[in-house]
Amino acid sequence: MESLSEKLDTLQAVELAEGVVIRLRIAGPMLRAGAYAIDLLIRIAVVIVTGIGLSIAGMAIGGNVAQGLGLLIWFFLGWWYPVFFEAGKRGATPGKRSMGLRVVQPSGAPITLGQAIVRNFLRFIDGMPLITYGFGLASCLATKRFQRLGDLAAGTVVVYDRIPAEPSIAAPPPMSASRPPVALTADEVRALGMFRDRAGLWSEARRCEIADHASALSGARGNAGVSRLMAMAHWLQEKRNS
Amino acid sequence: MTAGDFENKNSARWAEYEALVRSVELGKPIPGVERLPQRFRELCLDLSLSQARMYGIRLSEKLNALVIRGYNLIYREKTGGWQAVVRMAAVTFPQTVRREWRLFWLCSAVFWIPFFALLIAAKYDLTWIQAILGSEGMSGMEQMYGSEAGQTAHLRSAYGSNFMMFCFYINNNVGIDFRIFAGGMTAGLGTLFFILFNGLQIGASAGYANAACDPKAFWSFVVSHSSFELIGMIIAGMAGMRMGLAILWPGRLPRVRALVEAAKMALPLIYGAAVMTCMAAVVEGFWSAQPIPAGFKYAFGATFWVLHVVYFLLAGRQVRDAA
Repeated sequence: MESLSEKLDTLQAVELAEGVVIRLRIAGPMLRAGAYAIDLLIRIAVVIVTGIGLSIAGMAIGGNVAQGLGLLIWFFLGWWYPVFFEAGKRGATPGKRSMGLRVVQPSGAPITLGQAIVRNFLRFIDGMPLITYGFGLASCLATKRFQRLGDLAAGTVVVYDRIPAEPSIAAPPPMSASRPPVALTADEVRALGMFRDRAGLWSEARRCEIADHASALSGARGNAGVSRLMAMAHWLQEKRNS
Repeated sequence: MTAGDFENKNSARWAEYEALVRSVELGKPIPGVERLPQRFRELCLDLSLSQARMYGIRLSEKLNALVIRGYNLIYREKTGGWQAVVRMAAVTFPQTVRREWRLFWLCSAVFWIPFFALLIAAKYDLTWIQAILGSEGMSGMEQMYGSEAGQTAHLRSAYGSNFMMFCFYINNNVGIDFRIFAGGMTAGLGTLFFILFNGLQIGASAGYANAACDPKAFWSFVVSHSSFELIGMIIAGMAGMRMGLAILWPGRLPRVRALVEAAKMALPLIYGAAVMTCMAAVVEGFWSAQPIPAGFKYAFGATFWVLHVVYFLLAGRQVRDAA
């Protein structure tokens, strides 16, 4: 199940020193491009606002000084803006935060200042050719964890900070609890539990269609099969341990 | 115990944990925050239990998210503050440069060979230099270094222009260092290209100044900041090549792993190169163009070349190499 789920979706299982396995959800290129666009807009806004401010202040402090300050702001926005935010407590630039993303180590731990520097300075290469981010995109698509070149060199991944709660609609409550006719493996028990948890999201026809795959276990097809599977799931979740 | 019982039994503890985590995330710890590590470990156990007993997706996801939030807080790196900065400057940086002496000579050769080749070529034939600088570059050089008097006047007559040039050098030259470093990602080709390009450009400028401008105006301007800027650039090149070579020859490590290790080793070089180039910008902005007798400037420049050699040969030698 673990190995299967790693292949099928973007969940990464990581075992912590505390002995527990947490699951990180890796973010794909589309979302990250959105975050980048937001960061870009923020930086453009800062440049415009400070530009206006400096050109007014330039009358008092001198045009050359204002121009110099503008260059410094340009330098820090270009190279240090993402480093500053990603090495900070939230591990994300404002753009990433607004998209619910965060930069972490593959172990799920927060990144260090050095890692933030490496991954963001290498943006220069990821952004090529021209500024299309072609290299970064190619690298994202070629790696298992959607890492651009800067991520590979720094050893970082971009994950969902808060995994949005899966929508859950209560399934019709099972009428009865029944013990499965045969001993089930852990994966099969888990599959039954997921079937019950998610059944509320599906139409009746879809529920039947899925339940029909397990007709060997339930011994029935259609609605009867669904209710038998639900009864077994109910027994497994609520009654087995009591 | 069913999922519901488990949740009822522990939800008060989870709520306390979540309140603690939220308070630390907001930077306003509430009383009882010292219990956070303990609550975190208990929560890890709860998550393990809920996974093993298959209490369902909803509960697992909820605990999973809570554990991640705490994990990110508890394992956040505390940077060492000033002590770490001093150690980096006095020990780690010079030690790293010494350890990577092969890369130092490689990058130095890629820079200095074209530099001196063009400098010498200028004595005999200006064709190469004309090709590299172009007409705009040459007229710019003549404007800046045509005569000693013209130079400072041209560059820094207006109020605040020293500061403006300082900022320009920070943006431009430190940016070049970072690009040289990033170029290492293309198996070192980008790094080598940038260093070679700079060697050609600077060598051509120096050669042209010797041949067609007032050499004293040129050399007295560049000598003061040359040691910081050129060594800084070469060290940025070392950082890039460290990564590039890890891609080409990962040794016994998988390629990506070798790259991560190389990037870690290159970090002190990047820090050092950036600081040196910032110092160069300070000197170039506020000292190099001042109307100071050329003799002083030559002495100043020579002193810093010597100090650099001493620093890189001797600094941090007696200190054991520590993490």
